[in-house]
Amino acid sequence: MNDAETLESPARTEPGEVGLVEPRDFVSLESFLFESGQTLAGFTLRYETYGRLNAARDNVVLICHALSGDHHCAGIHAITDRKTGWWNNLIGPGKAVDTTRYFVICSNCLGGCQGSTGPSSIDPATGRPFGVTFPFVTIRDMVRAQKRLLDSLGVKSLFAVIGGSMGGMQVLQWGIEYPGYVRRLLAMATTARESAQGIGFNEVGRQAIMQDPGWNHGDYPKNGGPRVGLAIARMMAHITYVSDASMDRKFGRKRRLPKPQKTDGAPPESTDALPVSTASQSGLAAGSTYNFDVQFEVESYLRYQGESFINRFDANSYLYITRAIDHFDLAAAYGSLEKAFEHVDAETLVVGFTSDWLFPPQQNRDIALALLRAGKRASYAELDTDLGHDSFLLESEELYALVRGFLA
Amino acid sequence: MSNAPASSPKPAVKRTVDMQIIADWVEPRSRVLDLGCGRGVLLESLMQSKDVFGIGVDLEFEKISACVKRGVTAYQGDMMEFMRAFPDAHFDRVICSRTLEEVPDPAAVIAEALRVAKSVTVGFVNHGYWKNRLDAFRYGRKPRNDVYKTAWHESRPANPASVADFEEFCALKNIRIARRALLRGDWKTPCNFRPNLFAGYALYDLAR
Repeated sequence: MNDAETLESPARTEPGEVGLVEPRDFVSLESFLFESGQTLAGFTLRYETYGRLNAARDNVVLICHALSGDHHCAGIHAITDRKTGWWNNLIGPGKAVDTTRYFVICSNCLGGCQGSTGPSSIDPATGRPFGVTFPFVTIRDMVRAQKRLLDSLGVKSLFAVIGGSMGGMQVLQWGIEYPGYVRRLLAMATTARESAQGIGFNEVGRQAIMQDPGWNHGDYPKNGGPRVGLAIARMMAHITYVSDASMDRKFGRKRRLPKPQKTDGAPPESTDALPVSTASQSGLAAGSTYNFDVQFEVESYLRYQGESFINRFDANSYLYITRAIDHFDLAAAYGSLEKAFEHVDAETLVVGFTSDWLFPPQQNRDIALALLRAGKRASYAELDTDLGHDSFLLESEELYALVRGFLA
Repeated sequence: MSNAPASSPKPAVKRTVDMQIIADWVEPRSRVLDLGCGRGVLLESLMQSKDVFGIGVDLEFEKISACVKRGVTAYQGDMMEFMRAFPDAHFDRVICSRTLEEVPDPAAVIAEALRVAKSVTVGFVNHGYWKNRLDAFRYGRKPRNDVYKTAWHESRPANPASVADFEEFCALKNIRIARRALLRGDWKTPCNFRPNLFAGYALYDLAR
């Protein structure tokens, strides 16, 4: 054991912020052939960039987002923004993904609903949203669409591709699809093969959406649609992103105090996706605990998660993207995982998280082991956290040091 | 005992001796697996001097992080589980440098290492070295010196070995000792006389 050296203390330069950023749109006018055989006349990808492209055009770090993520991974859109981009803790001047060194690009995936072409986009042929007539999207389609964006920006090679969860799937696909183009792959909390459990959760989410009458076979107006179904899908999915321990720490059995009842007798007007049943409806006196109102903090929190989701996410996109995740199985697509990785040229780092039960450590280990069996350079690190799948978004100096070291 | 006499080399210096002999044995451009790779110092030097394709295994996140930082490929996890994921003779060489003393079942590790690699290099501190025996004799306690730095209750190694123990084990398991290097207490000078008593450090190259 060569432990003689002490680990150098990490550079303690004060990390800065990316600050104000503006999304941009890349429009591809060339037709796009999906893996399903369906085509689109063209598409738009909304994206953001941070840092500067160097003269050699080879300092590019591509960030790939997860199921419900988007292109806004760092910085803020307005001075008044309370929320930063979803991976702001990792990306910025002096941070692990240092925007003074790297030109960081993140795009909303094809099939998404944050500005990139997806089922909520207008079909030029009909003048109405595509809905379920939108072509089926795969992880590989997302990656191929991103490649067009990078080509349009004149990017000659990728210094690294980084992503967690579904973003990690894209990372692996990048290494397979464009082996000479990518130099480093950093995949976190992900899998090379969506498991039965994963497909199962996705299906429950989809059923919640599709059984909502508002879904109407995917044909619904903007800001309308299966709001209850989508909120329930999100509530359920959110549980899979955390862990028993972290939920118990955050909420335990903490009670939610009942809201004061309206006294005018009329049921409260609710625009909420999940109207709260009142005590009077359940036939019991107000104040009784024997009813189905929100009683626990965790219920209230999940409802909040569900409701804030419907204001930013499209139900059809949720169906398409979860389907893309379901279909992700590199071993099946290429014959075996070793065959899938046969031509990978990049150096890979896979990071698993002990408490991730959606994409458990073993599924992350399997990626690194298959790469190693295929004779590739692949490292595996496992962070001990109790925050579940979302641990990859964790503020962790250990994780930052690992990422920084891998990119150095 | 914690302050070592100036004449005796520090473990970090000793380690480079260990590394030099291992480097002499490793074939250029071979595929090397280092079990208990620590921060990847040995693999890094082998990558530089012998252009090996190296992979290290260790249990701790910080170790893997340090490996990744110095460009050494490393895997965090159990070494037995790791080896089981590979076909026979996938590696040219497995290195266990001061690792076997710390595993609960050294025989199983060596057997599995001999399956996944053509040769297995083992390096360990000889617990039978006379100073250790003297320590035990005089104080009736676990040796405390440069190498065995901790009290028993905070101790590594968990399972110290002597030259005699190891060679008896190889004979018992029909493991061929292709090469060995026995060093005196300075971990430099070759030790040719009664190594179980006078060798401070032992290196073996094993083959099936």
